[in-house]
Amino acid sequence: MRKAASFWTSFVVAVAIGLVCYRLSAADTTKVEDVAVVVSPKNAVQSLTLSELTKIYRGERQYWRTNLPVVILFRTPGTYERDVVLRTIFQMTEPQYKQYWMSKIMRAEATSPPTEVFSTGMIKEGIAAIPGAIGCVRASEVRPDMKVLRIDGHLPGEAGYPLH
Amino acid sequence: MHLRGFADVDFSSTDEHGTHSGFTLGQFVLHVASPLSNRVAYFGELSFTAQPTSYTADVERSIIRFDYNDYFKLSFGRYHTPINYWNTEFHHGLWLQTTISRPEMIRFGGRFQPVHFLGMLAEGHLPSGPLGMGYEIGLGNGRAGTISRAGDTGDANNNRAWVARVFARPTGLRGLQVGGAIYGDDITPTPALTGNPRFSELIESAHIVWTSETPELLSEFANVHHRDTLTGTVYNSQAYYVQLAYRLPWQQRKWKPYYRFEYMHIPPTEPLFSLPDFQVKDLVQSTAGIRWDISDFAAFKWEYRHTKRGPTDPIVNGAFVQTSFTF
Repeated sequence: MRKAASFWTSFVVAVAIGLVCYRLSAADTTKVEDVAVVVSPKNAVQSLTLSELTKIYRGERQYWRTNLPVVILFRTPGTYERDVVLRTIFQMTEPQYKQYWMSKIMRAEATSPPTEVFSTGMIKEGIAAIPGAIGCVRASEVRPDMKVLRIDGHLPGEAGYPLH
Repeated sequence: MHLRGFADVDFSSTDEHGTHSGFTLGQFVLHVASPLSNRVAYFGELSFTAQPTSYTADVERSIIRFDYNDYFKLSFGRYHTPINYWNTEFHHGLWLQTTISRPEMIRFGGRFQPVHFLGMLAEGHLPSGPLGMGYEIGLGNGRAGTISRAGDTGDANNNRAWVARVFARPTGLRGLQVGGAIYGDDITPTPALTGNPRFSELIESAHIVWTSETPELLSEFANVHHRDTLTGTVYNSQAYYVQLAYRLPWQQRKWKPYYRFEYMHIPPTEPLFSLPDFQVKDLVQSTAGIRWDISDFAAFKWEYRHTKRGPTDPIVNGAFVQTSFTF
């Protein structure tokens, strides 16, 4: 009898823990986090409008004002940062994005799509090595050696910040 | 280096006297883009076209471009002439265009407008804020003695062709492009016409396009002005097309019906367009069809065309099917 009671108590506790973990996990996947636009600290730019950022990411603006070539570092498919950039900057789906760059290269307006990187660490290294590099990382993953740009006058976490 | 290919397989059947229905292999196109440094890039496009006894290989584009900044980029090579939107938007990638066929005014091997241009081109943005304006200014050989060809091996005379185009892509209306272009050249036809005349050519064109696909609108107009330098006689030929399409929201947006109306008028006495082997005729054509994107990089297109050319020519009806793809 005591064995049965112990089993059922353990079972209920296990189910409860499982339910709590599931809810926390579900909450994590739906959590909205701002995505920061980062450049090299050597880059003189401090802020961009969303329109300017869109032109940069779409390859319509290929040079910074100092004539430094823009190098876009873009996270690989399936990442939160990429989803946010596709939705808010490109306003495209993944297939539309691929077709967009294919057409652009065919028109001789670009030689390749943005460079794809597998981690925030690679964006950090790219920004350190390439003066004209620009990338997007989760606001919580911004490193001290990245310069975060204001977008439409707002930093990540501020009201009105558009990338999330 | 970025390498990409385009190809298509077609089926056609028309009621035009003397033609046969059947399959044809479309152009096999290879496109190369290669950055040579931060500011220097090479672009090439090579096509293989089936002919009755063999294949012809053509260098469609071969361009080396030097970038200074977004406002000034200078390139040299063989281009698709920026006198026509379709010509510079879709090039030889039939998968990129909604329809099976190109508009008659800029069809490959056509004579109405020069498809290719060999020389140099300056291009870039114009400081215009949200208007998003850009320009292209070119200087080159222009048309060869056979006016469907560019002067790849040298100009047919000592007068260079020139082209200038401006366009606007407003940032607030993504997908909209409005623009116009002007092209000038001196033409020395080969074989020479009676009296050995030369012709000055001036082409004015304009376009307005909306490429959002819901809806898609492509519309272009061109006037080709030729003046016989011996007699001073002037000939003006016009052409335009309007194409409408709409990406349907159902079935993962794979279906896109379309319709295009084309019109072309050539004066009957126009000497350059009346050469027996290279005749360009009047045209009134309706094209209706549907495109089915079977995957992200392959499409099927079904098309019906109703064509009327010269006053004495019969109406031609045709059904066409194409699968085009990129790899």
